[in-house]
Parts: sequence; C-alpha cells; structure tokens
Amino acid sequence: MSSGPMSTGRPRLSRLTRLRRDRSLLLMTVPAVVLLLVFNYAPLFGLVTAFQEYDPLIGVWHSGWVGLEQFGQLLGDPLFWESTVNTLYLSFVQLVLFFPIPIALALLLNSVLSERLRNFVQSVVYLPHFFSWVLAITIFQQMLGGAGVLNQFLRGHDIGTWDVMTNPHTFALLVTSQAIWKEAGWSIIVFLAALAAINTDLYEAAAADGAGRWRRMWHITLPGLRGVVVLMLVLRLGNALSVGFEQFLVQRDAVGHDAADVLDTFSFYYGIATGNYSYGAAAGLFKSIISLLLIWGANKLAHAFGEDGLYRK
Amino acid sequence: MTMTIERGPTTSAAPRAVARRGNRAPWEEPPTTVGQAAKGLTLGTMLAVVVVPLWIIVVTSLSTPGAVNRAGGLVIWPDGLTLEPYREMLGDPTVRTSLLVSLGITLVGTLVSMAVSVLCAYGLSRPRSLGHRFLLFLLIVTMFVSGGLIPSFLVVTGLGGYDQWWALILPSAVSVFNILVLRSFYSSTSADLVDAARMDGAGEWRILWSVVLPTSRAVTAVIALFYAVGYWNSFFNVMLYMPTDSAKWPLQYVLLTFVNRGNGLPGSVNSGFGSTHAQTAPLSLQMAVVVLTLVPLLIVYPFVQKHFRAGVLTGAIKG
Amino acid sequence: MGNELSRRHFLGAAAAIAGTAAATPLLSACGDGAQQTTGANSEAGLKAALPAYVPNTPVKPDIPSVAGGPDVLTDPGFLSYPANPVATVSGKPGKGGSYTAVTPLWGTVPTADNSFYQAMNAALGVTLAMKPADGNNYATIIPTMTAARKLPDWIQLPSWWNPNFNVGELAGTQLADLTPYLAGDKVKKYPNLAAIPSGAWRAGAWGDKLYGIPSFSSGFAVAGVVFHRRDVLEAKGITADQVRSAADLMNLGKELTNAKAGVWAFDDVWTYMFPSWNLPLKWAVDGGKLVHKYEMPAFLDAMEWHYTLATSGYLHPDAIAGDNANAVTRFYAGKTLIGGGGAGAWNLADHQSGVAANPNYRRGAFNALAADGKSAPRIFLGASTSEISYLNANLKPAQIEELLAVANYLAAPYGTAEYTMVNFGVEGQHYTRQNGVPTATDEGKKDVQAQTFPFLASPSAVVSNPGGDVVTKDYTSWQIANVKALTKPVFWNMNITMPQWASTADAAQAVEDTVKDCYHGKKKVSDVQAAISTWKSSGGDRLKQWMTDNVLNKYGTGQ
Repeated sequence: MSSGPMSTGRPRLSRLTRLRRDRSLLLMTVPAVVLLLVFNYAPLFGLVTAFQEYDPLIGVWHSGWVGLEQFGQLLGDPLFWESTVNTLYLSFVQLVLFFPIPIALALLLNSVLSERLRNFVQSVVYLPHFFSWVLAITIFQQMLGGAGVLNQFLRGHDIGTWDVMTNPHTFALLVTSQAIWKEAGWSIIVFLAALAAINTDLYEAAAADGAGRWRRMWHITLPGLRGVVVLMLVLRLGNALSVGFEQFLVQRDAVGHDAADVLDTFSFYYGIATGNYSYGAAAGLFKSIISLLLIWGANKLAHAFGEDGLYRK
Repeated sequence: MTMTIERGPTTSAAPRAVARRGNRAPWEEPPTTVGQAAKGLTLGTMLAVVVVPLWIIVVTSLSTPGAVNRAGGLVIWPDGLTLEPYREMLGDPTVRTSLLVSLGITLVGTLVSMAVSVLCAYGLSRPRSLGHRFLLFLLIVTMFVSGGLIPSFLVVTGLGGYDQWWALILPSAVSVFNILVLRSFYSSTSADLVDAARMDGAGEWRILWSVVLPTSRAVTAVIALFYAVGYWNSFFNVMLYMPTDSAKWPLQYVLLTFVNRGNGLPGSVNSGFGSTHAQTAPLSLQMAVVVLTLVPLLIVYPFVQKHFRAGVLTGAIKG
Repeated sequence: MGNELSRRHFLGAAAAIAGTAAATPLLSACGDGAQQTTGANSEAGLKAALPAYVPNTPVKPDIPSVAGGPDVLTDPGFLSYPANPVATVSGKPGKGGSYTAVTPLWGTVPTADNSFYQAMNAALGVTLAMKPADGNNYATIIPTMTAARKLPDWIQLPSWWNPNFNVGELAGTQLADLTPYLAGDKVKKYPNLAAIPSGAWRAGAWGDKLYGIPSFSSGFAVAGVVFHRRDVLEAKGITADQVRSAADLMNLGKELTNAKAGVWAFDDVWTYMFPSWNLPLKWAVDGGKLVHKYEMPAFLDAMEWHYTLATSGYLHPDAIAGDNANAVTRFYAGKTLIGGGGAGAWNLADHQSGVAANPNYRRGAFNALAADGKSAPRIFLGASTSEISYLNANLKPAQIEELLAVANYLAAPYGTAEYTMVNFGVEGQHYTRQNGVPTATDEGKKDVQAQTFPFLASPSAVVSNPGGDVVTKDYTSWQIANVKALTKPVFWNMNITMPQWASTADAAQAVEDTVKDCYHGKKKVSDVQAAISTWKSSGGDRLKQWMTDNVLNKYGTGQ
C-alpha cells in the first residue's frame, strides 16, 4: 500500500473526479483495448459453434442448432475426463518441478560476474525454445530412444536397455524434463530483467551492515523478484488446463493415448481431426470457463497471502 | 571458462561509482571453492545439453544426402559434408525477398506492439485508477477465450485484410502476457521517483517518458525481444491471411515450404504423383532451415542483455 | 435433434451419395441406359453424367497396361522419352481470359511470375495466375476461403477431405456444374480429358452431376504396399515369392532382426497388412447384410499377430515411438528392412536417395498374401484419384469452356508436346536433353518441378523413371503380378457424406487409438476387444443401421 502519490486517490472521490484525474491513463489503454475488441472480442461469435453441429464449409450462420447437447455428451465422455485428469496431473508436476528452475537458474546466472560468459550461456540456452517440438522429440528419441545412442551403447555392452521414451508410467517426468530442456532457458529472461531492476545500492548498504551473501539474497534479491514470480505463478495456475499441445501430439503414439491425451489433444482428435468441430468447440469453451475460474481463484489466493497477484487488492 | 574482460560499452551514464576489482564489488565476499565448483558444474551441464543437440543439427545440415541416409536419421559424426542445402536456400530469389519482408514486419510490428503495450501497461499500473480492474479483466479474458480460427478470419477479411501486410501485424499486435509483465515492473517503479516528477508538475505522459521508461530499460528490452522473435518466427497469420501470395511471404513461411517438401502426401495416394516430389525434404535441408532460424537469435540476444545493466544505472543515478 | 436439422442432414447425405449412385427416378429416365453395363440401375444417373472414355495413347508404352477387371488397369511403363513429341492440341486453347488458380504445394514455392508461368500462359493463350499454397496447411487454408466465399476461379480440393469437409455441400453453390460440358459424348470436344478413365471422374461427381476434374488418376490405386529391402533380403537368399503367409513374415522378423547391430526387421505394417486376414478396409457384405471389420473374429487374429510382432522385438523402437517421419530414412540406412507405405514411394527420387546411402539399394514389395497362406489373396482398390480440381460457380459458360480447353491441354498424355511443356518447360531454358531424357536445369527444378499445373488436370498415371529403369521395371512387374488380386471394396469410389454423429462413429478414433497401441505392443488384444464393444454401443451399431438404410439398400455396394 505504499505507492506514495496515489494516496491522493481516496476511495471516496466521485467518478467524475477520478475520470478527470485518470483520463490520461485511460487514454493510454485505448489502442490496446481497441485492438483486442476488434481482433479478439469480435470473433467470439464463433463460440456459438459449441451449441451447433457446425460445418465450416457451410458456415456459422447456416449450421444447425443442438443446444447443450455437445456439453452433455462431453461431460459423459470418459475420455474427456481422462484427459482432464492427465492435464491437471501434468500441470501439477510441471508446477513443482519446472516452475522453480528458471528462477534458480536466473539467480545462478546473475551471480556469474563475467558479463561475456553470462551473455554466452544465456544466448545459447535460450535457443531450444525456438526448436519445434517435432525436432526436440526427434533429438530425444535419437539420444534416449529404444534404438538411440544410450540404448545401443547399453545393448552393445550387454546391459539391459532403458525404456524412457515409450513408458507411459514415467511419461509425466519425461515431458517435464523435455519442457525444462526446451523452455527453461527462455523463461530465465524475464527473471533476469527483474534481477536487473533491483537497485544495487541496496546490496552495498546491506553488506556494509554485515549481511552475508545468503542474507542479502533473502532480504533483497528474493523480495525484488516477488512481483514477477507471483504474476507468473498466478498465470501458471490459471493455465493449469494448458500443458502444451504439439509435445503431446507428437508423443501420443509413443506412450498411448490414455497417458498422453491432454485437453488440447482431446479437442483435436475427437473434435477437429474427425470433423466434429462443435464437440471440439464445446471442449474448448468448457476449458475457457474453468480457466477463468482458476485465474480468479489464483488471484484471490495471492491476495490472501498479501500479494498483489494480477492487480492490487 | 571464466575470463577476465573489460566492461562492455556502456551508456552515456557515468561509469559505475563503485570501483570493481575485476568484476567484483569491493563489498562482496570472495567466492568459496565449493560454490564455484557447483556453479561451474551447473553451467557446464546447461551448456552441454544444448550444445550437443546444436552440434547434431549443424552437422546434419551440412551432410550429403548419402550421409543422412546412411545415418538413418540425424547425423552425429560428420560423414560427407556439403553446403548444398544452404546454397539452395540462399540462392532462391523468393527466400531473398522474403528476408526483407520479415525484417520489415518484425521492425514495424515490434514498434507498434511496444507502443501499444507500454502505453496500456502504464495506463493500468496505478492502483485505484478508474476502471483499471475492469480493463484488466477485459484483457485477461482474451488469454483464455478465443472464438476460433474461422471467425477470426472472417473479421480480418471483413476489414479488408486479405493479402494485406497489416493482417500479419495487427491481429497479434497485443500480447496480454507481455502487458501484464510490463505492468508488474511499472507498478514497482520507485515511488520516490514518480513523486518527485509529479512535484515538478509532470503529467502522466511525461512521467512515463522520462521516469518510468528510463528506469525500466531491462524489461522494455525483454518485451521488445519477445515481440520481435514472435513476429520473426510467426507464420500462422501468413497461412491464414495471405496463403497464396508467395511474393509477399515472410522468411519463415518460405522456409516452411522447404521443410514440408513432399511431406504430408497421404500414403494412400498412389498416383504416379510427381516423379521427384513424392520425396520428402532431406533432413539436411530441414536442419539447415533450423540453423538459419537460430542465427539471428544468437546475434540479437547480446543487444538485449546490454540493457540489463544500463537500466539500473540510470535508476540509481536519478534516485 | 430438431426436425429441420435431421432434414438438412438427410438431404446433404442423400445429395452426396447420389453423386456416386444417383438413382433419382426422375433423372434415370434421361439416363443413357445403353452404356450401362455393370452395376444396379441405381447407377443410371451417374452414368448419364460421366464423360465417355476414349483411350488415347499417342506414345506406345514399353510396358503396356494389363487389365484386371472393370476399372482395374496397371499403369503403363515407359523406358524412354520420345525425341520428337507430337502435339495433341492445335493452336492455343485459350481466348485471352484472365484467371486465378490455387493448388496445394508440397515443395518449395516457385518464384512468383516466373519464366515458366509466362511460357505456359503464352502456350495456353490465357493469363492463369498460379497461386500455390502450402500443402501441409491446405486443410486449414481452404475452409477459411470458402467461409469467406473467396474461392479462386479454379481450385484443387483433394478428396481425402470429403468425410471432414463436406465438399458435396460446396458443389453447385460455390463450385460449377460441369455436366453440361462433359457428360457423355460432349467430352469428345476435349480428347485428352476423354482419355481419363471414368472411374476417376466418379470421385468428382456429386448429386448426380459432375463437378471435378481428376488429376493423377490411376487404375491401380491401392492403399499401400508392404515393401522390403530387396538387395538385403536377396543377399540372404530370400526372395519375395518365398513369403506366402503371415507366419512366413513372422519368421523373417526373427531372422532379420539384429538389435545389437541396430537392425530391426519391421517398421509399421498394420495399415497395409490387416486385409490379409480376409478383412475388408471397413465394411463387408455377408449374405446381404453389412458387417464392419471390427465385428469379425479375424480382426482379433490380425491384431494378435501384430501384437506378437511388436512384443517379440521385431518392430523398430522408433516406429513404436510413433516416429513415422524418419521411417524412409531408416529404410535407406538398412535399420529397418520391411515396412508398409504408399506405392507412390516407388520412384526415381527414392532410388537415388537409397543408392546415395548404399549403392546396392533396391526397393521391392511382397506380393499380395493371405495370412493363412491358403485363401485367395486380395488387395483393395482405392479411389481412382484423390486430387480433384473444381471451377468456380461464378464463371460464365464461355469462361468454363475456355478453362476446360486449358484442362485438356494440361491432361495431354505422356510424351506429347503439351506434356513436355507442362512437366519440363521450355527446352534450353528449363530443361536440356541428356541421353535423350529431358533433364531439368536449375531454373526448371525450381519453377517447373514444383508441380503446380498438374494439380489442375493431368493425364492418368504412367510409370516413368528416366535414369532409373530398374524402378520402372520392378514397379510395373509388381503391378502386373498383383493385378488379379485387386478387388473393389464395398462402397468403392462412392462419395458418402454422413451426418456428424455417423462420421464420428465411422472414424472410431478411440478404437483406432487402441489398435495402434496394440500393434505397438502397448495394449493387449483384449483391450481392443473392449474398445470395440464400447464403440458398438456408443454409435457403431447405429452407424451400421444408417449405412444399411441410407447407402446399401438405396445405392448398393458400388462394386
């Protein structure tokens, strides 16, 4: 609550006064809001396809109406629930194993003094983000697959093979490792920016007060990161129903659909791929609604912990 | 791997007040051996797991068709090298024009996106400003709800966007994620600085321009990077809004046609279908495309990194 | 479901089905009954719309076609290219009109407005703006175009979409009816189009009328072939004709697999192998009743064999991991020795790629076999073409005639002057003759070989691999050896459009997923059985009833 000058903004001010006071701020949001209204809100009429039997060749206006039938079918579909459970489980694993890693790596990288080394490491490790999942998984398969470098070595030395690419039981760990490998370097960047925004004078003052490196990290670095970490966490929770698409599409055959189907691949296979667009749209709309509830909840949770979340309470 | 270097070029801001021995501030403790070892090991692992695949990609991109087909996949050890895939791609007139197109779209797109996002993020960064919660809600909804492909297409073509450059920029000009990140940084801009500016009678535009932006150069650079690589790599809007106007395609979409060569022909088709093009693109060509995609990213990162230091300096001085 | 909805679906379905069977009594009166030699009288309407077939082979093939039955014909083989191609079209077909054409492109995009396009326009007498679109994303691009009614004058719509995209509903509204121009003897005005066998035209017929112009048609369209590395097998003293049953193949799996050396006998073969258990592709008719392959006990036998193949370790681990993209490279490298695939893989480029890795490389295919080694082997005939182009419904009759004349030029048979122009371009600029064979220059490789025009119209398939005659000989002799085994499946070449629920049941995604897991050794046959019984109760049985009532009983089997 220490935002200083805006304490003039007492809650009791009339709307008109606030409007006069904030008109520049409101004006600044206009371009973005207009773009979103035109390119994101206007196409929302497409959501009606979830209540139709939609055929893209004849269009939204001429497709027949079925009301809530698609949703009824969806909620009674065991495969839908299976993929929902998979999605939530994978989200949880990623939250626990993946989420802290970029933060830790950013701290590590930030502590490297040589700027040239820091630069080099960072510009290399962010490259996998730009690989397609097809390529990423081809590389994994060639290294760790049943006929890959590792297993051919084990075979050559008559040690048993290690099935990691097609084992449905360890699939969650596999996809999380892949995600870390591909995305961690990229996710570091925003934390590095947050670290850069911390005023170095604070460190000097703390050191002068006799605070060691760990205490400085605890009392200066981590609080400096808090805003962006909480933001990422809230968004991650809101996105709990999205864990990726292509990664699962490519590996679906490897571990079987009951391990690999997540909500997005479910919509694809049982919606679009079989021409059942409306079923896919219904699954999508369902996911949207739950996601909005989740992000609302995550934001409340942040507020309960005294954090700002998406906006100040 | 550590090396002693002199500090890179810096901004017009005064050199760091604190003198450093090497790069270490005098108040920092000397490193412990264990700490250094752990750090080295982690960095080494991070690098290795990326450098090895990069090696494989580069070697494959330089391999002859025979080498790739003997390897039966990606090539790990060089076995017959050639520059042919690169020659083929870079010698292609469509690739050359598309490079200019991509540069143009990335430049214009990033400028538009940054202008729109910075303004919006700052406009929403004040707690208790009028309507900011409603507007945030409006923004966030678009992260989770979408009308789908065809409705978007109908809106853009309804506005006359078919085969138009703007259709590659405006529909994806706003990233709500990026706005939220910017906003989070702006909200934590030192209140003292903003106060001081207001005391001097500065309006919001002035505060944004001469206080907030100069003190948040790191995040500005990062978000600009996010937008720029987004535009550089995007091909989806091209596919939708100018799928057949190949003279206007940006680089990534043209490269896609190299990757897709012969791909996606359904196996069920037996029709004497093109005597040469039933052949899928050799892996070497696909990997050459990957390499061409990565090179600009390697070049661009240091320019972003540069701002990580400069932003703090300015902030510190003003404070 | 509301009444209106059901009616729409019924009409849509009926209209689409009628495309292949067409029995509306009103029209059958005008049908050309005399030409009707096969099939039930429900074929009458279609027969009336189909163009007459007038074979035309100006260049005699070195390996002539062999007929195997109605609509079944092997592709002719050519071992040389005529030194002086003859012209089949006199003058320019066009009258100076300007048109736009969109085709899918699985290759690098030709330079816009390149010298080949210009030469073609000069030869055709029209300004045809070629707009190739990325083939891999074509299925996303076209529905957006049709939704916004932005179809070009001439467009290629591959028929493998029909179940998903309901092309039948575009016919007549956005796509032009060609019946008045091509039906029966009218096609004789366009002799090269008349030389395309009628089986191929069926695929572009909807609602009793003709809409599509076929490309790349063949009388020997098969779902796929079980290939092997002929060089490797023969070096071990194994020839294809020794393999006569599923058990023989399983033995090969044991003999050829050497995991330590990185060699596995098999890549995926299920899609191409399962009919060997006397199974249909989907439907069979048994005693006048429709039966789905899932309901047949043999289906589980086929499953069991493939499950054993995988669990015995004869299937390459990358195949089990679903990496199909690199299957062909594994085959070249000799990491797999047997694998299924489309017969289109048997071509010159394949030969060159294989030889680059191993000079002895030779692709071979097993003959059709019955799993038990005793029954008569069968291979099912696929649709005669999967690539069909359509004209825009907004074109005026004179414009349609002009474009059909252009199509006639594009469809000129192998070895003619027009064929040379369409496929090789201008001599000296796009190709040169090397040992008598037209060989593309760099410019030709870039702009001609990208194959844009042939997707608008092309003659029926020939086998020709200049510089790789071994491929031509191997492939044509395999076709000839198997032509008797070629069988029309139930509902052959019928454009069946189903209501949404039925096409979902027809796709049977959940069963097919389990089947795939089973032939990869990850699910047991009993799991497949369970998936099938779920499928039956959740739509499969209803689908069978619908197919019986709306297709079988009304339009017959199409065989």
